[in-house]
Amino acid sequence: MEKARPLWANPLQFVFACISYAVGLGNVWRFPYLCQMYGGGSFLVPYVMMLMVEGMPLLYLELAVGQRMRQGSIGAWRTISPYLGGVGLASVVVSFFLSTYYNIINAWAFWYLFHSFQDPLPWSVCPLNDNHTGYDEECEKASSTQYFWYRKTLNISPSIQDSGHVQWEPALCLILAWLVVYLCILRGTESTGKVVYFTALLPYCVLLIYLVRGLTLHGATNGLAYMFTPKGWFSSPVPCLALQLEQLANPKAWINAATQIFFSLGLGFGSLIAFASYNEPSNDCQKHAIIVSLINSSTSVFASIVTFSIYGFKATFNYESCLNKVILLLTNSFDLEDGFLTASNLEQVKGYLESTFPDKYSEVLPQMKNCSLQSELATAVQGTGLSFIVYTEAIKNMEVSQLWSVLYFFMLLMLGIGSMLGNTAAILTPLTDNKVISSHLPKEAISGLVCLVNCVIGLVFTMEAGNYWFDIFNDYAATLSLLLIVLVETIAVCYVYGLRRFEGDLKAMTGRTLNWYWKAMWAGVSPLLIISLFVFYLSDYILTGTLQYQAWDASQGQLVTKDYPPYALAVIGLLVASSIMCIPLVALGTFIVRCLKRGDTPPVA
Amino acid sequence: MYFFSTIICRISHVLLCNVTQRVSFWFVVTDPSKNHTLPAVEIQSAIRMNRNRINNAFFLNDQTLEFLKIPSTLAPPTDPSVPIWIIIFSVIFCIVIVAVLLLILSGIRQRRRKSKGPSEVDDTEDKCENMITIENGIPCDPLDMKGGHINDAFMTEDERLTPL
Repeated sequence: MEKARPLWANPLQFVFACISYAVGLGNVWRFPYLCQMYGGGSFLVPYVMMLMVEGMPLLYLELAVGQRMRQGSIGAWRTISPYLGGVGLASVVVSFFLSTYYNIINAWAFWYLFHSFQDPLPWSVCPLNDNHTGYDEECEKASSTQYFWYRKTLNISPSIQDSGHVQWEPALCLILAWLVVYLCILRGTESTGKVVYFTALLPYCVLLIYLVRGLTLHGATNGLAYMFTPKGWFSSPVPCLALQLEQLANPKAWINAATQIFFSLGLGFGSLIAFASYNEPSNDCQKHAIIVSLINSSTSVFASIVTFSIYGFKATFNYESCLNKVILLLTNSFDLEDGFLTASNLEQVKGYLESTFPDKYSEVLPQMKNCSLQSELATAVQGTGLSFIVYTEAIKNMEVSQLWSVLYFFMLLMLGIGSMLGNTAAILTPLTDNKVISSHLPKEAISGLVCLVNCVIGLVFTMEAGNYWFDIFNDYAATLSLLLIVLVETIAVCYVYGLRRFEGDLKAMTGRTLNWYWKAMWAGVSPLLIISLFVFYLSDYILTGTLQYQAWDASQGQLVTKDYPPYALAVIGLLVASSIMCIPLVALGTFIVRCLKRGDTPPVA
Repeated sequence: MYFFSTIICRISHVLLCNVTQRVSFWFVVTDPSKNHTLPAVEIQSAIRMNRNRINNAFFLNDQTLEFLKIPSTLAPPTDPSVPIWIIIFSVIFCIVIVAVLLLILSGIRQRRRKSKGPSEVDDTEDKCENMITIENGIPCDPLDMKGGHINDAFMTEDERLTPL
């Protein structure tokens, strides 16, 4: 007797699963960076347009395929065409790479979360050096938050060649992270369905609390004003509207908007197909696709408002400390009355002192730093640097910093684990669908094996050079491959399977006719967009020449650019090739097997 | 400390000079008996040891009350024997392991119950043969005996089976 396919207990679980998968760390730490780079308010125009044209149609396509085929990615694409099983296999390979390196972020979030229960926070003070006569040298040159990230958390080596050994502290946190993921996926949709209530909803609670706290912080409005003002506004006399239009004409803004929508929704990994395969066939996936993509984008905007109010607070705090240092320096050197120098009359008094005591002023001048709010705000950071360096710097200056720290890293954990559920589902669903494997091993054992293998490989990222390998995986493991996978997917559904046949299937399944808009997007616009993105990425890689990375120099206390060694370039090539080559290889293999079968059996008379 | 056990200084022995608009001044401490100033080094070490008392007297701290050429001694780092993060880590680790084991065990038990389930159904089927089958609340056996005429149009015994 065939076992019925497990289903979501109710459609809400499916929607929450998709939301917790799509709303991930990229919404929090990539979108605000893009907003800042491409002029805040004006970036929303290409972003919303790409959402309409690319995000929603492709999301709907993946959900519809999964719901129709009711199998994981490999089985689904093999059903569409036997030669296209490679697309599913490529998705699984990319998901495997992603889950290997993504969970180390959860491990880091655990590390920071556990360290948040101390007073003072360990990243707010520099440790003392060996003699106890002063602060640690590396910490003095960099800042205490950078020191805690690069030295205490990563214990980073000066270059990718110096691998060092596995650090036991991050390794323990990685094992814990994988145990938590295993706990959530252990029972399949039964356990995942309950966990997604938390991973989808809790981050919004925390974001809301942070929004209220962020907007009430001193200096938050500086950050918000900076976000919504296009770049160059302060320096140029050109009116505001012209600058907004100028940003729109910048092709990079459109490309980055398209890329952000594409990767933010998690298309092409097979997770959405896996989630949708556990749906009732009559589920209205069109409505769900629109809801999920809208929620994903609005979360990005929401998170960037929170991020920019925190930026504004941090920048204002640093600017005021810098001013206070200058005031102290001048007060000490010229023996002025305490309280005489304030931020408002600083420039006047500086001019007066320069004219009255020119010699002494020129002595003091080299020590005086030029404090500028703009330069503090302009430190655009993305990725792990934003969360673990910039945010922690802002948090340490808030009152009751332990509470804010715990809330923030707890939110990061929820976002990360929610995405991991989708990643592992993309790998596990094809494995459990495979009759050979599922007859020999129970579901729990398959999940356990996958988690174990990923954990062991992930220990590479806990070595001293681990963060450099993490950057390699982050930048190259998924980008090109996904574009190609989704392109082949769209062409497969529209032209190989047949758009009209698919439309008929959907109508039979859900009872709703397919809108002309979706058909137009799937057949024409989206593939063209993906092709142009693909061409842009390829040309960008080719034109850049040698690939470089940022290495941490402990003696200087800052990042320096270095070239990748040949074996790292080979690994990058392997990463990209291993997923892309699945598509043609499996097609070729199927063709050969079919030819052989046709050769063996004589045709029936 | 041992200085002040042998020499008792009063305010009149502390002389100020170079007082500026800013609350800063130079001072020397004179020795009451020998009428000369105490060496700076001794005063510096005395201030270093009593820094806390001096700060508290003014409700200030090392950042707001500065003695030039007397660096503040930095507080030694508090190193608990077991780092706090390991304690929290162990607690959460144990909870997760217990939860995983519970789920796995309950899954195994469910599967064992399911595999026992079909064999129990077979026993009841044997018992059924001795029971009277009931359909629609009417026992089947009596239906064959009472009530109901046999329709001859459908029941011609000769033609019941079509020949091969």
